[in-house]
Amino acid sequence: MFDFLISFWNVVPVTFAQSLIISFVVMGIMIPFRILGFPDLTSEGAFPLGGCVAAVVLAAGFNPLLAMLMALICGFAAGCTTAWIHLRFRINTLLAGILVLTMLYSINLRIMGRTNIALFNFDSLFKWISPSMANIPTFKIVVVGVLVLLVFAAGWYFFLTERGVTVRAAGAGPQMAEAQGINVWTITVLGVGAGGALSALGGSIMVQSQGFADVNMGLGILINGLAALIIGESVVGRSSTLRQLAAPVVGSAIYYQLISLCLTLGLKPADLKLATGLFVLLMLGLPQLRSGGRYRTVPPQEKVKE
Amino acid sequence: MLRVSQARKIFYPGTPDERKALDGADLSLATGEFCVVIGSNGAGKSSLLNAISGRMPLDEGRIEINGADLTDLPVFKRAARIASVFQDPMIGTAPTMTVAENMLLAELRGRRSSLSPGLNAERRDLFRERLSVIGLGLEDRLDTNVGLLSGGQRQSLSLVMAVSNQPDLLLLDEHTAALDPRTADLVMKATISAIDTHDLTALMVTHNMKHAVDYGDSLIMMDSGRVRLSMSGEEKAAATVETLIERFHETPDWLMLQEA
Ligand SMILES: Nc1ncnc2c1ncn2[C@@H]1O[C@H](COP(=O)(O)OP(=O)(O)O)[C@@H](O)[C@H]1O
Ligand SMILES: [Mg+2]
Repeated sequence: MFDFLISFWNVVPVTFAQSLIISFVVMGIMIPFRILGFPDLTSEGAFPLGGCVAAVVLAAGFNPLLAMLMALICGFAAGCTTAWIHLRFRINTLLAGILVLTMLYSINLRIMGRTNIALFNFDSLFKWISPSMANIPTFKIVVVGVLVLLVFAAGWYFFLTERGVTVRAAGAGPQMAEAQGINVWTITVLGVGAGGALSALGGSIMVQSQGFADVNMGLGILINGLAALIIGESVVGRSSTLRQLAAPVVGSAIYYQLISLCLTLGLKPADLKLATGLFVLLMLGLPQLRSGGRYRTVPPQEKVKE
Repeated sequence: MLRVSQARKIFYPGTPDERKALDGADLSLATGEFCVVIGSNGAGKSSLLNAISGRMPLDEGRIEINGADLTDLPVFKRAARIASVFQDPMIGTAPTMTVAENMLLAELRGRRSSLSPGLNAERRDLFRERLSVIGLGLEDRLDTNVGLLSGGQRQSLSLVMAVSNQPDLLLLDEHTAALDPRTADLVMKATISAIDTHDLTALMVTHNMKHAVDYGDSLIMMDSGRVRLSMSGEEKAAATVETLIERFHETPDWLMLQEA
């Protein structure tokens, strides 16, 4: 009767390793969404971009660190592009993101020259550190965990520095930030770029972990990441910089264990996206349902272009 | 010190909705001069201040501070010299950041921010001292998120932030108009005392005729996007609410000026 618990328990480490990798993406979603107030969809394209770039670099026989660095740079460029499109042409942030992720699909295909690359025979971060342990989940957890900790610590330090406080101000109140001498335009471009860089980094680690890259990898990753972020925030809160930075990691860990539990309970993988989508919808919509006024008013008109 | 020449800004030109926000406004202020701006609604007072701070790019004209041409500089580049407090208490501060972090932003205004930690004991003491001047107890709430403060407290914070680094020019746009009378009074007192102590060059828009009479070295009245009349020196010092009304009698809008 409790067979499902045993099969769930067996995949906990694998799932945890995966969730740590995805937590880079969730951080890459959190920074634009929460810190910069820029709802950014780039990660949906930056994640496979990072995977494709890393795969090509690895398949060419280069060092895994170089592959990850290249992925990081390309993801950064993708994020910067989204922000720039919004700022320069005043196109709605979500639409700017969709434009970039759509274009990235072609670019990703061009980069790989085909729809997928197997990487089993090439070097990876894990093999590079220890060829013998490369496939052990606990080992992956340690390696990726150290990387996550590094990014987390860097973020925690940065957002409390003088520069970091100006970045947060740019998101908290762009008009007021400008009046305080803060270059909001540049910060937005670089900040959304940083988000794209993290998503791409996640993609580059993912392909090394799973041993292949595919242009369709991570389809729907943005909604998964958003679900993870919402869970993380409801667990650790977002009242301080520390909590806001911890939320992606905690949320990702919980979210992927939940998914794994649902799968062992018999949820069909094909229905996962529907389930996740409904979950995000519920979480975003709940406050609205609760605040039932006398009657419903029409929300302010949204514009494609300001 | 400040020179605005032939500032012109027209919204929706050539349409039935055409609005002349500024229509050839001229103004010059000497260093240390405190000038009060009055005028009816829609006269262009806010537009003049926004043109100076850079929030409203001009169609034509020129803005200079100490001989430097600011006309084509974006808001954030002017901020090193110019600080503003607006009527709306919500727009001068970052609601999701703490009082201390907001103060830090003002402290960094016009400087290059570094990669060292922003808040240390020394700075917190400095901020506490600066905030205590107002008398609203903000000095004990350094770690409170600004969004939790009242409008009056937020506006006081905006003011303290604006005068923090002794800007070359302080712009105040009806900055006490949205506050309850007691808080408005506290904020106005703190404003005048900051301007006096640091000998700030300031431009203050007010609808309150008593304030217009009591404060400032000089006074201008705006109408239809232009500076129509100005008063300074002895004439301003001797002005009363009655003489102001008389002096501005020739302009049709004088009735719009409300008495204190
Ligand atoms: N952003 C804007 N868009 C359209 N019209 C504007 C804008 N800003 C100011 N105006 C117009 O310019 C004129 C002057 O406005 P303003 O400077 O706010 O006046 P005041 O502050 O003296 O009441 C008004 O007619 C106003 O409608
Ligand atoms: Mg006004």
